[in-house]
Amino acid sequence: MKKIFKDPYLWIFLVFLCYPLYPYLGDYISLGTELLIWFIFTLSFNLCLGYTGLPSFGHGAFYGLGAYGTALTFLHLYNKDGFFAPVILGAVIGSLFAGLVGYFIRNKKGVYFAMLTVAFTQVLYFICWRWDEVTGGEAGLKGIVRSSFLGIDMKDPYNFYYFVFMLFALSALVIRRIADSPFGRSLLAIKQNPIRAESLSYNTGFYKFAVYMISGFFAGLGGGLYCFLTQSAFASVLDWTKSGDVVIATLLGGGTVSFYGPIVGSLIFVVAQELLSAFWEHWMLLYGLSFVIIILALPTGLMGILKKK
Amino acid sequence: MEILVLSLFLNGIGLGLVYAAVAIGFSLVLGVSGVINFSHGIMYALGAYFFWVLQGKIGFWPSVVLTPLLVAMIGFAIERILVRRVYGQDPLFGLVITLGFAMAIEELIRMIFGPAAYSVSAPSFAKGVLIFGNFVYPVYRLFISVVAAAMLAALWILVEKTNFGAVVKAGMFNPEMVGALGNNLTFLRTSVFVIGAALAGLSGIIAAPVWGIKSQMGTLILMPSFVIVLMGGLGSIPGTILGGILVGVSTSLATLIIPRFVDIIPYLMMGFIIYFRPRGIFGEQNIVE
Repeated sequence: MKKIFKDPYLWIFLVFLCYPLYPYLGDYISLGTELLIWFIFTLSFNLCLGYTGLPSFGHGAFYGLGAYGTALTFLHLYNKDGFFAPVILGAVIGSLFAGLVGYFIRNKKGVYFAMLTVAFTQVLYFICWRWDEVTGGEAGLKGIVRSSFLGIDMKDPYNFYYFVFMLFALSALVIRRIADSPFGRSLLAIKQNPIRAESLSYNTGFYKFAVYMISGFFAGLGGGLYCFLTQSAFASVLDWTKSGDVVIATLLGGGTVSFYGPIVGSLIFVVAQELLSAFWEHWMLLYGLSFVIIILALPTGLMGILKKK
Repeated sequence: MEILVLSLFLNGIGLGLVYAAVAIGFSLVLGVSGVINFSHGIMYALGAYFFWVLQGKIGFWPSVVLTPLLVAMIGFAIERILVRRVYGQDPLFGLVITLGFAMAIEELIRMIFGPAAYSVSAPSFAKGVLIFGNFVYPVYRLFISVVAAAMLAALWILVEKTNFGAVVKAGMFNPEMVGALGNNLTFLRTSVFVIGAALAGLSGIIAAPVWGIKSQMGTLILMPSFVIVLMGGLGSIPGTILGGILVGVSTSLATLIIPRFVDIIPYLMMGFIIYFRPRGIFGEQNIVE
């Protein structure tokens, strides 16, 4: 029993279970929903960065593709009726695209890997930006409505919050299970010493490809939920600054040293972003500088400081 | 029709040479230091803005000389204060740190000059048009091709014909060995960064009268540089020039046929080239692999 209470997962679960009850914060329920979506997104990204050491700068692509996939399946296949199926389909589309990218770049290393992920994201961004017939181009896709799921009205933001909460709780468990499984241990081995892992007859290319697909699935899930939260899909979700955001949120929390780092990081990141953008028109200035300061002052993130003590 | 194609082709060459002049700095920094320098585009923007401001105050020629020096000094400061600390670490660190700096400077430009785009007039000696029969072409567009080509030629001489260049090339192949042989690796990396910044600043000056200046111009030039470097091969000057011209000409001509998908064409070409030649057209083995 004591062991369960020491588990950070339980505390995160409880804190966000009660989120709508908090004074002041509870009124900003969409902020809470966005936080949970960010948790899913950064946890999925951390499977690549923190566990496999892949410097991916293209996770925004899977997130954005999840959003577009969800929006398109909703608008064309389910027509105002579906809710759960488009989200899952969006996640599957994100996963398939991640698999495609992962297949092509599985044997690239370091800087080259990072550059190719950027290039893939850009291609997708321009396709969504220009292919008006399908993606709505600059105007984006609108008219997405949250209908009901299992008889529960999803138009109510509180119900939707708990729907996202359930998915978050489930995804976090699954991602943690993957990270702790023999598969996850092999990923850590690849991160620490890829050459040794290869000589121990691990097929490192396959592992990278597989972790990319898994990560793409959860990133796509986050994107799909975000699409339902904002009830729209815009090309801006595919912008490469989005990929930068997820990297910085993960590094800020300390994803490289702790499983829960991404959650801590995105909590601070999203709240700070909301506050800054509300108070100062030129918040991007501080935002950019914070990237520099975080990397220079906290290379292992906040969890890195906690772990040292 | 032929006349239109010819002038678009020449536009493409000019655009491509400017792209190449910006991309080469990005490429050399990546090769020698292993840092994906997202702040490189901002040097191009700073060049254009400094020149635009200085020109009204101290005249044309003094600002042509002063602007690249200012940009080079900023490059020196960035390398000394920020970029140096992430050498040899995870590539995402260098990427994020330079990206953050670029975002901050871009916002600073927007704070000072506002979000509007400005047009800059061409210098008086390069105004007017050339007329061959019924083919009419602005002189300034030829002028930028010539200046960009001259910049690239000067850099080529520096890299291929001097001792310094030999060390730069060796630094891309095996930096530890270069250091162990008694070359000052820190100095090498700083100077390559500063040279790249100065070239980007100069490119900003010559490009401003054609494409105007706006706060996002630094971010917008970054992705073509990216593609050109992957396409031409890291650290290769001929590869960068070829990549630049391919990107410039293809995007320029594509506006005739498929104007909507112009932005995607460079990426498709890049995908095609690196599928067959993973290191790019002239790419050789280097430290980032």
